[in-house]
Amino acid sequence: MNQVLLSIPYLAASVLFILSLKGLASQETARRGNLLGIIGMTIALVATLSAAGVAPASRMYVVITLLVGASIGTVMATRVAMTAMPEMVALLHSFVGLAAVLVGFGSWFGPHGETALGRTIHLAEIFIAVWIGAITFTGSVVAFLKLRGQVSGKPLLLPGRHWLNLGTVIASLVLAVLFVGHLAGHPLVLLVIATVIALWLGAHLVLAIGGADMPVVVSLLNSYSGWTAAAAGFMLANDALIVTGALVGSSGAILSYIMCRAMNRSIWNVVFGGFGSDGTAGGGAADGATAGEIRETSVGETARELLDADRVIIVPGYGMAVARAQHAVHQVTEILRGRDVDVRFAIHPVAGRLPGHMNVLLAEADVPYDIVQEMDEINDDFPETDVVLVIGANDIVNPSAQTDPHSPIAGMPVLEAWKARRVIMLKRGRAAGYAGVDNPLFYHENTRMLFGDANQTMSALVGEL
Amino acid sequence: MRIAIPRETHDLERRVAATPDTVSRLIALGHEVTVEARAGAAAGFANDAYRSAGAHVEVDPETVWSKADMILRVRPPRDDQIAWLRSGAILTGYLNAATSPDLLETLAGRGVTSLAMEAVPRITRAQSMDTLSAMANIAGYRAVIEAAGYFGRFFGGQMTAAGRFAPAQVLVIGAGVAGLAAVGAARNLGAQVRAFDTREACRDQVHSLGGEFLTVDIEESGEGSGGYAREMSQSFLDAEFALFREQAEEVDIVITTALIPGKPAPRLWHADMVARMKPGSVVVDLAGEQGGNCDLSEPDETVVSDNGVVVLAPTDLPSRMAETASTLHGNVVVNLVEHLGGREIAIDMDDEITRAMTVTHDGAVTWPPPAPEPAPTPQPAASEPEAADATAAVAAGQPPTRPAAELGTADRQRHRAWLPVTGLLLAAVWVYLRWQFGGPGQATGTEAQAFVQHLTVFVMACFVGWHVIWNVTPALHTPLMAVTNAISGIIILGGLQQGSRPLLGADGSVEPVAVFGLAAILLAMINVAGGFLVTQRMLRMFRKG
Repeated sequence: MNQVLLSIPYLAASVLFILSLKGLASQETARRGNLLGIIGMTIALVATLSAAGVAPASRMYVVITLLVGASIGTVMATRVAMTAMPEMVALLHSFVGLAAVLVGFGSWFGPHGETALGRTIHLAEIFIAVWIGAITFTGSVVAFLKLRGQVSGKPLLLPGRHWLNLGTVIASLVLAVLFVGHLAGHPLVLLVIATVIALWLGAHLVLAIGGADMPVVVSLLNSYSGWTAAAAGFMLANDALIVTGALVGSSGAILSYIMCRAMNRSIWNVVFGGFGSDGTAGGGAADGATAGEIRETSVGETARELLDADRVIIVPGYGMAVARAQHAVHQVTEILRGRDVDVRFAIHPVAGRLPGHMNVLLAEADVPYDIVQEMDEINDDFPETDVVLVIGANDIVNPSAQTDPHSPIAGMPVLEAWKARRVIMLKRGRAAGYAGVDNPLFYHENTRMLFGDANQTMSALVGEL
Repeated sequence: MRIAIPRETHDLERRVAATPDTVSRLIALGHEVTVEARAGAAAGFANDAYRSAGAHVEVDPETVWSKADMILRVRPPRDDQIAWLRSGAILTGYLNAATSPDLLETLAGRGVTSLAMEAVPRITRAQSMDTLSAMANIAGYRAVIEAAGYFGRFFGGQMTAAGRFAPAQVLVIGAGVAGLAAVGAARNLGAQVRAFDTREACRDQVHSLGGEFLTVDIEESGEGSGGYAREMSQSFLDAEFALFREQAEEVDIVITTALIPGKPAPRLWHADMVARMKPGSVVVDLAGEQGGNCDLSEPDETVVSDNGVVVLAPTDLPSRMAETASTLHGNVVVNLVEHLGGREIAIDMDDEITRAMTVTHDGAVTWPPPAPEPAPTPQPAASEPEAADATAAVAAGQPPTRPAAELGTADRQRHRAWLPVTGLLLAAVWVYLRWQFGGPGQATGTEAQAFVQHLTVFVMACFVGWHVIWNVTPALHTPLMAVTNAISGIIILGGLQQGSRPLLGADGSVEPVAVFGLAAILLAMINVAGGFLVTQRMLRMFRKG
């Protein structure tokens, strides 16, 4: 294979990937960006296939595998519901992790360079790629299962889990030194042991994180999958992999940072904090202090209030995604807009289980993106708002983040819905939010609760309007 | 509380801080109101009107000032008036806090709590207390009317049997509140109007009033990021002035509205631009009081240039519509009183608006207010169309910063920490290599070289990624994750390298490398196809309303 011939198409692919991400800066250029990404990937694939010198006997297998993979991907992409995007993203992360592990083991069977130093470097690269890949793999699988609800969203808190994590990291380091230095036993056994440890570590890390922190976890795994690809790039001496991995890695890192800031927590706190245990304790204490009277309302009354309003802000949360209520929400929006009511959407950065999740759902329901606004754009407008409709959101409108310094979510930026003249909260049941924190907004004098499934309630509202 | 409205004593000032209507609202709040005799005369409000609204009319100014708990003014007070004030009294009005430190010292020395009307913060909650915008609106409208008075032609085009006239061409510099009001007024008179502003966000506002929007497009010539604003500013100004010179030959009326709070007004309309204008043209400079935007401006004088262009710099435009201006100002003052507590007036220094306006309190000067504490993300200036200081951007000659870029910069700065970390890592690698290949002339081997090259590529790619990703709009974060999913499927290249080997080894046994390779190809291809397609699907759904 000729590395020199490949470097030009790889350069082109890398540039196209960068342009692809740049295109996402605005909705107008995003589609072109995606197209550039597809072109870049095609160039890289075709160039590699033509240069790799595929053995005639394997050509058929390679092509069949490519086609099968492409078909599975296509089916997944067309079938997935927009509400299930977090699961799909997590699953795809796990594939990258697993592929890296496989390629890493494959590399181990290959040549390791001519000089002693080259050999050391290559073995280290294999170890790192396999190790990160394994963490990404099991971490993403657990995240996927948590998002699907097949594993409880509650954090699993083993006793002494920080020591366990530390122990596995130290054990991995020891194994790495032994493996790279060819110091003990059969190297392949060492690599397998290290892989098993990393697989366990990945699962354990994500199991210990609560459901409300899933946006951070998914972003973090996004970042890991990038670093995995970059490590594989070092291992295979492939610049296209390195560049792409670095791009994806930084992207995930930035997203994690944005999500953490939106919850006023540090990344360490999210990963090692085991949020939820403290939360329930704090919530329990707050219960007695804030519990008050809940005022219920009806669909009919809500419809009347919406029609009388001049300005309405809708705050969607994960509950809207779960109930798949976005289409009914859009119908309500259209009816109100048709009657000259100013309707806008307020999106909290961590609403949903994925960065930008709400935007995608609303876009799916055909809500124009120029009435969908970010927290910082819209937060000052709540005092002038007649009705705020909170659909399946809780923690992101919780005033105790600002008022109660002992609240577990104290200091987290929240949407100031309580400043509006009327807040109507659609809620399935009377339980606290994902973070397990009681919400004084339920008992606020301006708040009316509308219990029931968000989709049915919104559909009933469409009929009433 | 005893509230007093003294007569304004400044030359040319015809406004009054309360109208009979707002006086009755103050009384309804439970206050006792005293109005100095003839305080509203220039604005068309007679003493009797105040009396019938429930106010007490007092002839002696000293009594008015000395007996009041709260004084409502328009203009800053004179020193002799301050001397009449009780210690602890509250004074509201324009105080020009930024430019008159002596006045603030005097007020603080007297123990007066002063609320500067020009210091109301530009936030949504404070809009009902924003008199600057209200006055700017009047000034913009009135500037057109003044120009019409000196302009010898119709504003609208006319074709009559006796001859035809082209419509007047009006140029408004600065599309802030005053500028937009001028655009609207000139347009309504039938003129063809164009407005200049550096901020792209003004384009729609100008269009909505029927004007044409002019700007200098510097982004084209210097697209880049980080720190180019200062460097561009001179070339930006040059481009701006070149545009003005070109316009000077076409337009009949120029209205300039560029002000920087607390600083002399920028010179934007130079003598040579006036010289290029047609005889009979009119320049109205709304910045006369701050030194003027036009080289020829003399505050409150009518200057005629050598080539017959009239240059006006009136400083009292709101006063020329004293009744309207007083009504607006009076309403704002009542809103302020309500904000301060309505019946029981108290100065709450923890309130953001009150804190910003309070320039002297408890014997101390409290200007300027501390920067707002939580300062979430910088409020993009563009989202506040009412900003009267909009023209500051024109004035400073700095290109508008896009909010997204601003955000990105702030975050990048906060994350400077990762730069030293990268530096340390690189240094560590260098030290290791140095230790390995210590002596001079010793060969490092191609593999080590290759590794270092890959490291270079990796670090550069991280930088590129960091800068590109910050510009991604938050609404597209989910598509971003899907697209990064797809491109991280690039690991398929590794699979292809290994999967392309013969599946069966020389001895007929299955080669594990090839099997692993094929499995990797399968997984990675799912990522590639799934990621790109689902991104496509999502992006297709985003539509503009």
